[in-house]
Amino acid sequence: MSTEQATRTGVGPGRYFEDFRVGERFRTGHRTVTAGDLADFTRVSGDDHPIHTGPEAILQGPFGPAVAMGLLQTLGLHGSAVLGLLDTHWSYRRPIRVGDTVALHVTIVGCRRTSRGDRGVVTRHMALVDPDGAVVQEGTTAAMVSASGDGPDPVGRAFGTVAWGEALVARLDPGFAESLATWDGAIGLRAGDSEVHLRVYRGKVIEVSRRAATGATFTVEADELTWLELVEAPDNAFTRFAMTGRFATRGDGYEYLRLTAALHLIVDAARELAGEDA
Amino acid sequence: MRAHYLDVGGALAFAEDHGATDATPVLCLHTAGQSGVQWRHVAGALAERGYRVIVPDLPGHGRSEPAPGGPVTDLGTYADWCLELITALGLDRPFVAGCSIGGKITLDLACRAPERLSGVVAMAADAWTNGRPSARGLRRELSDVAAPSRTDRTHLGTLAVVGRSVPAQRAELIATMHRREDPAISTSDLLGWTSHDLRDALGDITCPAHLVVGEDDLWLDPDAVRWAAGRIPGARCTVLDGIGHYPMEEIEAFDAVLDGWLRELGTSAPTNPAPTSPAPATGTERAAAVTR
Repeated sequence: MSTEQATRTGVGPGRYFEDFRVGERFRTGHRTVTAGDLADFTRVSGDDHPIHTGPEAILQGPFGPAVAMGLLQTLGLHGSAVLGLLDTHWSYRRPIRVGDTVALHVTIVGCRRTSRGDRGVVTRHMALVDPDGAVVQEGTTAAMVSASGDGPDPVGRAFGTVAWGEALVARLDPGFAESLATWDGAIGLRAGDSEVHLRVYRGKVIEVSRRAATGATFTVEADELTWLELVEAPDNAFTRFAMTGRFATRGDGYEYLRLTAALHLIVDAARELAGEDA
Repeated sequence: MRAHYLDVGGALAFAEDHGATDATPVLCLHTAGQSGVQWRHVAGALAERGYRVIVPDLPGHGRSEPAPGGPVTDLGTYADWCLELITALGLDRPFVAGCSIGGKITLDLACRAPERLSGVVAMAADAWTNGRPSARGLRRELSDVAAPSRTDRTHLGTLAVVGRSVPAQRAELIATMHRREDPAISTSDLLGWTSHDLRDALGDITCPAHLVVGEDDLWLDPDAVRWAAGRIPGARCTVLDGIGHYPMEEIEAFDAVLDGWLRELGTSAPTNPAPTSPAPATGTERAAAVTR
């Protein structure tokens, strides 16, 4: 049973799907890890490996997401409208020991209505942060949340979706067509698990789809938080992000390099589009 | 300003020469693939502060002829070339200030011939890049067919490493100027950059040294620059807040900043009092405030 499910009885509905917006950020108060936490967690898991015992014990990895879920609950966002937790993707950056203090920083990075239409998936980037601001553990968790209406939903930050791709293409600078006047291929844009292909022929985007007929010539990809930070940055930082490995590329690396200027214009359009939803 | 075409290293070398011929000489070195034009806003103003400012174009760059042996991939070759230039111009114990590969050539000169220098300011350079960027990738870039959209990448790649404090118009001018490169030369310079290891030679530096790195410079890790400074007897290290890979192009009135650094370095800095013109906000004050 997920934390959300456990708290459903006796609480109000909390936020519905439509009440979340990509880019919203929340911070909780601090929580200090106690010897009781360590003892309780070891008892529940049965994992008494020496690394989790003694004065220098490191709390088990899953302690982090469990605490994150508890801290999340203090924000009062979620009530009975939450139908369930779908997944947790988590990274352990630094050890957590008894006496450490952490707070939870939450960023909404995805809001996708399901095909049923009466509910949607809200993806939350969650980071446990120490008092110095260093990220101790982080990851994403996705929750299914009831909808209060039936849309339409904003697309400006629905990175990697077809609707987002279509809206982005409508905002492309004319320089895009000019720079790709001799090009024939498909550009893949991927955010987390969502990928959209822009099929380009002689400068025109002739189709926006989940998958071009012969696949993407190349795909540029990053997690949703990175896309969010890219569209929120004070300037178009795509090259800086690419140089520091925050975006990755798959497929034809030559064509990716060849489209340097065109990709910059795509990011300009994505930033303009995201700004309209702000 | 005077200009020279001199025979250095077996080819014709171009160098600007600003200021009184008997003033304290300063040799200013440019970055990979670029030319002395990067110092255009600095050289004349620095000369007015009491220096003789020499700004060469390295072989194959700007108005200098290519090196007889083809594009240079060893920064030590450039260092030897600089020593020959110093001799040819009769410069007596000059200061050297350089940036990026120019910064690393500056460090190399300080290792190689500290007794011939009054001091060095090495900007945007560490002692060893740890093999980044990869030599294999750079060699592939030397083949034109493997290097698409080169000018776009130089333009956007320059903008990506200019500091946050630099106004957009100035950043754009820097990036636009940088497009004037010969990719075969730039890439060879970077091969020199990525393969040049000065770690074991830093202790040989007996002239005053100041290492400078911009906080926003994606090419360098300030810790690596601090580490290098820590291995040079008496060296100073400055991290510039809001500045990237090209301090002499990014900082307005950089002549005042460099003059301040040279005065700190050397007994042979100009004996006339420092000009009293106010230091620019994005220059000395910032530099002084963020010295770490």
